[in-house]
Amino acid sequence: MQTRLESPVVIALLAAIGLFLCSLANALSRETLEPSQLIYWLGVLLIAVPIFLRLTSSGPSYRERLGLVLLLGLALYGVKVVHDAPLFTLSDEYIHAFNVQQIERFDHLYHFNPAISTSPYYPGLEGATSALTMLTGASTYLCGTILIGAARLVQMAALFFLFARLSGSARGAGLGVAVYTGTSNFLFWGAQFSYESLSLPLVCVVLMAFVEREEAPPRLRGAWTVPIVLGILAITITHHLSSYALAIIFVALAVLYRVMRVDKPNPWPFAVLAVGSAAAWLLIAAESTTGYLFPVLENAVKAIYETAFGDTEARQLFGSPSDTAEAVAGTPIGARAIALLAIAVLGVISLIGLRQVWRRERRKPLVIIFCAFTVAFFAALMLRFAPAAWETGNRAGGYFFIGLSFVAIYGTAQLLRRGPRQMRRRLLLTGALAVVLVGGAISGWSWDLQLARPLKASADGKDVFSEPLALAEFAKQRLDGSRFAAPEADARVLLFPGGQIAYGGQGPDIEDIVEEPQLRDWQLPLLERNHLPFLVADRRQLSGDTLRGQYFSVKNQYGNELRPQGVVHKFSEIPVGRVWQGGRIVLFNLRDRP
Amino acid sequence: MRGHRDLQAACLAAVACALVAALVPWEIVRLAAGLPLTLFLPGYAIVAAAFGSRELAAPKRAMLSVAVSLMTLALGAFVLNIFPFGLETASWAVLLPLVVIAACRGAALRRERSQRGRAGRPALPRPATGSLVLGALAAAIALGALALAEKPLPAENAKGFTALWMLPTDEREDAVAIGVDSNQHDFHSYRLRVSLGKDQSKTYRVRLDPGEERVYEVDVPARAVGRTHVVASLYKAGDPQKLYRRVTSWLPRQMTFP
Repeated sequence: MQTRLESPVVIALLAAIGLFLCSLANALSRETLEPSQLIYWLGVLLIAVPIFLRLTSSGPSYRERLGLVLLLGLALYGVKVVHDAPLFTLSDEYIHAFNVQQIERFDHLYHFNPAISTSPYYPGLEGATSALTMLTGASTYLCGTILIGAARLVQMAALFFLFARLSGSARGAGLGVAVYTGTSNFLFWGAQFSYESLSLPLVCVVLMAFVEREEAPPRLRGAWTVPIVLGILAITITHHLSSYALAIIFVALAVLYRVMRVDKPNPWPFAVLAVGSAAAWLLIAAESTTGYLFPVLENAVKAIYETAFGDTEARQLFGSPSDTAEAVAGTPIGARAIALLAIAVLGVISLIGLRQVWRRERRKPLVIIFCAFTVAFFAALMLRFAPAAWETGNRAGGYFFIGLSFVAIYGTAQLLRRGPRQMRRRLLLTGALAVVLVGGAISGWSWDLQLARPLKASADGKDVFSEPLALAEFAKQRLDGSRFAAPEADARVLLFPGGQIAYGGQGPDIEDIVEEPQLRDWQLPLLERNHLPFLVADRRQLSGDTLRGQYFSVKNQYGNELRPQGVVHKFSEIPVGRVWQGGRIVLFNLRDRP
Repeated sequence: MRGHRDLQAACLAAVACALVAALVPWEIVRLAAGLPLTLFLPGYAIVAAAFGSRELAAPKRAMLSVAVSLMTLALGAFVLNIFPFGLETASWAVLLPLVVIAACRGAALRRERSQRGRAGRPALPRPATGSLVLGALAAAIALGALALAEKPLPAENAKGFTALWMLPTDEREDAVAIGVDSNQHDFHSYRLRVSLGKDQSKTYRVRLDPGEERVYEVDVPARAVGRTHVVASLYKAGDPQKLYRRVTSWLPRQMTFP
């Protein structure tokens, strides 16, 4: 009976039921019925727990374990898909989907993006997606979802091969990948249509190919060089941080090979290629990256300093990341406890793992790097207390977690070593993995956003749209290619699916123009200087929140807090033409006046 | 490539998929052809060229085929961008089969040097009927989950609204199009009043079902000097005194900032 329940096909069936439960919870939430999140979490657990339990067993073959981690990756990616389908809804997705549209429109790369001006200069994801959209004729959403799904499968398989080769254990490799699903960005942020969702899997492939190359007979080393070189080049043009992370890893490997006098060819050529290509791309093509990235890192460093010395108040954990948004429901105490318990579980497993790894594997340079990553992961958790550094820490955690997952293999192996009460220990480990997965998902994504919100609804058999989406559809049909200034959430949907040039945020300072109730002297000249005739005035407090601002407002739930009437009236009083008015949003044309 | 069935099949498949993707109008057929052409065949061919036939276990070969395909797409976009024609359906439909054929040729040469004879096919386990049924059920439930996610649902507590918009119909700006677009949950009736300057006005009764849009074209009388102030005002039928929406324009538009 036990064997049957643990058979791969039953596990697949349970994963499908789990995915359906997640979809059902999201559907009820889109219907604004306020369903219990328990349905959703039950779905997530139904996907993961049977797979975790099977992976703890000594029974499955190498291929079965590989199949299980692929199923885990695919089903958990499905959780993100059923949250959003059939539209992109995560804040970076609009930006990259807009870039794909620009490629289709102009047949060339590097066309301007007003939201993140550096993003067109890392066109790997968008270029690849354009191949799919052009050859299949399918929508950007469908092609992007398929491409990121393929990348997700590649990542799961690459991690499995990497861990199996380094640890020498398929069982350990499966458990390592299971731990990896507990990284805080795995369920949503890391699965969105964004450049890092492609580049991080490719980093895993390059690391796996490097390890395979090290272990391969000399006649095969050249063969493994091919995916490493192609991978380094592809990552370079896909994502800045991933290319820098990979370059740092290879430089560290080259140094460690020399210091430790490893009896294998030093990987300095890969280090030179990774550093050279990242630097060359930065200097030749993506110069704007410095202006985009370095202030973020500088602010993070400053915030750490200020928080450490008490100059700035420490950030409250589990809070809303946006200070422009209306108050959102906080994470319940129980959920917070699970998230903290997950960190504690990871801490214990890592501590045991580090001891074992150091004892058994410290002659392997990559293993030493993974140990350093493990320590760095826990150090990066401290960044969550610094207001301007939490995102840097959160994003860096995705890379460090690769190392932690590997180290965790040795921690879990200690728990599963031969001896009595195997089943009890397997159950304990399965429970620990479930806590890590759920805790990671809670700490990586706001509690109020775990379930979907309505962006498009049906009424009397027809589709009706949320106000920002209706404005975007209007702009797409009637104002093709115009230039807008808008609150950030509106600007994102105007980018995609609206297809307009829409500025929001602080570069230029549109944020103050659309949020302040009074018209200041500098505001109209700034709009004129940036050639922005269309201005979106939005009274919704959520319009500044790129994760929540695009949805319908729902009675007694969210989207009901308003800015002062002045945010609209100040433009009416100039006076200028009003092109479109929904409930809370008014579109002005500043070049239409008496 | 004689004697290497997999390489021949990869080349033929790449060409066939490219032709179908470039020439067939139906999206579902193009999708079926485009996915292997973009996400598998280039990587398969390049990995075959790098490794030969028997040096790599099937799971790793499969994973690398997809991974290297993704790398090829990213780098292929960079290469196509160099040419004046850029990234088009035709350029992708030529580039990808070329990559596959070139890499397969390299793989064939490499295999002939290193080993002769055909690679044996790994035996696939034959699943039991019960497993097939459960597998099919799992696939059906997963598809059901995706279908449910894609389906727009009624959201009674979501705040519906009706939008009003106005734009000149063309560059001459001697007429305006005025649209009333319902995103309400049930039908609503309105009164639309359009005033053209100080003297003229027109009134329309508008009844809209959910998701319905009505567009009215209104001629704007020419003025010898100055601009005509066009104002469209929307009132709910049940509350005719209270202004619900208003859009305005001064035609012909100045096209300069205040």
